[in-house]
Amino acid sequence: MSSTTLTRDDVTVVAPALCGARALLLAPVSGASWRAFGLAVIGWVWLWFVGITLFTLVFVGVATLPLAGFGLLLLTGTLWTAHWFAVVEAARLTAQTGVDVVAAPRRRIARRGFWRTVLGPLADGHAWAALGYVLLGLVVSTVAAGLLVGLSAAAVAGLGAPWFLEQRDVPVHSFADFMSNVGPVRTALVALLLVWVVPVLAQAFALLQAALGRGLLAQSETAAARAAQRAAEKAQRHAEAAQQDAEARAVRMVHRAEHLAQTRSDAVEAAADDRRRIERDLHDGAQQRLVALGMELGVARRRAATDPDTAVVALEHAHAEVKETLAELRDLVRGIHPAVLTDRGLDAALSALAARSPVPVTVCVADSDTLAACGPAAQAAAYFVVAEALTNTAKHAHASAVTVDVGCTAVDSTAVDNSTADDSTAVDDSSGAAGSRLRVVVTDDGIGGADTAAGTGLDGLRARVAALDGTFDLVSPPDGGTRLTVEVPCVS
Amino acid sequence: MRIVIAEDSVLLLDGLTRLLSAEGHDVTGHTTADGLVAALAPSTAGTAPLPDLVVTDVRMPPTHTDEGLRAAIHLRSVHPRLPVLVLSQYVEQRYARELFTADARGLGYVLKDRVADVDEFLDAVTRVADGGTVIDPEVVAQILARSPRSGTERLTARERQVLGLMAEGRSNTAIADRLVVGLPAVEKHVTSILAKLDLPPDADDHRRVLAVLRWLDQTTDPNGAPR
Repeated sequence: MSSTTLTRDDVTVVAPALCGARALLLAPVSGASWRAFGLAVIGWVWLWFVGITLFTLVFVGVATLPLAGFGLLLLTGTLWTAHWFAVVEAARLTAQTGVDVVAAPRRRIARRGFWRTVLGPLADGHAWAALGYVLLGLVVSTVAAGLLVGLSAAAVAGLGAPWFLEQRDVPVHSFADFMSNVGPVRTALVALLLVWVVPVLAQAFALLQAALGRGLLAQSETAAARAAQRAAEKAQRHAEAAQQDAEARAVRMVHRAEHLAQTRSDAVEAAADDRRRIERDLHDGAQQRLVALGMELGVARRRAATDPDTAVVALEHAHAEVKETLAELRDLVRGIHPAVLTDRGLDAALSALAARSPVPVTVCVADSDTLAACGPAAQAAAYFVVAEALTNTAKHAHASAVTVDVGCTAVDSTAVDNSTADDSTAVDDSSGAAGSRLRVVVTDDGIGGADTAAGTGLDGLRARVAALDGTFDLVSPPDGGTRLTVEVPCVS
Repeated sequence: MRIVIAEDSVLLLDGLTRLLSAEGHDVTGHTTADGLVAALAPSTAGTAPLPDLVVTDVRMPPTHTDEGLRAAIHLRSVHPRLPVLVLSQYVEQRYARELFTADARGLGYVLKDRVADVDEFLDAVTRVADGGTVIDPEVVAQILARSPRSGTERLTARERQVLGLMAEGRSNTAIADRLVVGLPAVEKHVTSILAKLDLPPDADDHRRVLAVLRWLDQTTDPNGAPR
């Protein structure tokens, strides 16, 4: 980090003559003295050039400020230039004094934008400080260069005076008068003194110049601290944002995992329920009928010869049993998976359901082509939702009309109710943008008041739909009408 | 004779009633196990005579698990001499073990499917009502198949067949008929089996059934290690 003041070591480098008797004695032949001399002379020319340029720009800029912002642009450019001057000047000071001077970095503009770009440099304190340095450095280097060059000349003149006066008739009266008044020996002594005074003075000026450079060109400690703090704050903000992001993600993941665990166990339970139902249906239905059938046939065979009338009655019973058994098996198989759904598609299967319903049903299928693209699980879910809804309507709703609406919808999170929003975002996470959803709406004009208490058919449906990552929404106010809306991903 | 039936499938109850009535029996039907127990309450109280036979299904309302079996065990504990024929949709060795605890006299446990073999079913009805023991061949086969007990491997194929028929509750005469051999041959097999398996030579068919069942069952008890 750059320092804004000169340390004891820095002083030893720039102005050793001020630090010890030996260095003072050796000042005329010290490299520091010559560097200091060069610093003053070059600085004098360079700073005048820069000073005139920059301050002309500043004055013109200020004068033209009213001219529709032209002056503002000029000032901005000037300050921008001042920054780069500071960089060059810091490098010159480093090279010519032997101590490091590091120019302040340019003020960072946090965000891009026209006005920020234009006005940013104007708020750069270091650029204004560089302008101040030009002004002060101009004065210091002018005084230094004048004094050093003058005194050097005086020293050369004083030392050469005796020889000079002998060699020529000197037309310089004032000097001759001076010499004659003081005397060549004293003059030589004064000149000899100057041989030490000039280097020491040069070193002193160099020290002053270096101190000015450090003070005005380098980044102040408070500014550096502020910059560091800003950087740290920014890093912390980034870290906090990243952490919040990670936490939010973790929370979403946990919710997702819980949702999946729940729907998974629901699905397993639903499957087990299905198997129990099928077993019960088979046990109570077909199996008993077949036992009875076997018995009737046994009776018929036993009595065929001796008591043909009883045998005929038994055969008639047996025949009826076979037909009943076939009908029951057909119903049961349809309940496991309807063949018409596989063979003819959802549209035909829903029509078949509607035809069997005792309540008049209107089926609206939006586009059978897009429906055909839906996966078999989604189609089966839609079929059983409608089947269960129609059964419930016929049993409980006392409805006079039912409408079944089926269609595919693109994923649109805003169209989903608040109550199901969690589910739908979870779905987005898993299936990405690829999944459109199969939407089934069953509406009736019955007495309403349906609920999805545990153990009802609707509860089983809800589990089945949840297992597919779908949403299930039942609106059935006690004052009438029931509307069941189910959405499942077309491909799960 | 007087027969009381408990069967929740109305269809089958109706068929059984017609079948047994046609054979000249006096049949009363019930569709629940509770109904059966309630119907026998006067007999339990002593105000009415016991029926000659109770036929009951295992799986009945309200829980559709083993109500019929519970009722049968209950009735047997109250009336040890009441003949009970248990019909089951599927045979379960555990049910058989629960049923055949103390006395196998007048007790039967057969698959419902056997009803289709009308002659065999009517024979089972008569045998149980007369105090015999009827165990479904399926149950015996199950027990034999699951019995890794040392001893059975020392039996000849014929002796295994005889052992199975013994377990079903058949008398030596019935076994001889079934295998189409002479009675002395069957008696020889039985003696040989009882000797090989260290069972007491007992002429009583019913106690023989229990002994054979228990002997076979010891190894298939999930909680007990083979001796």
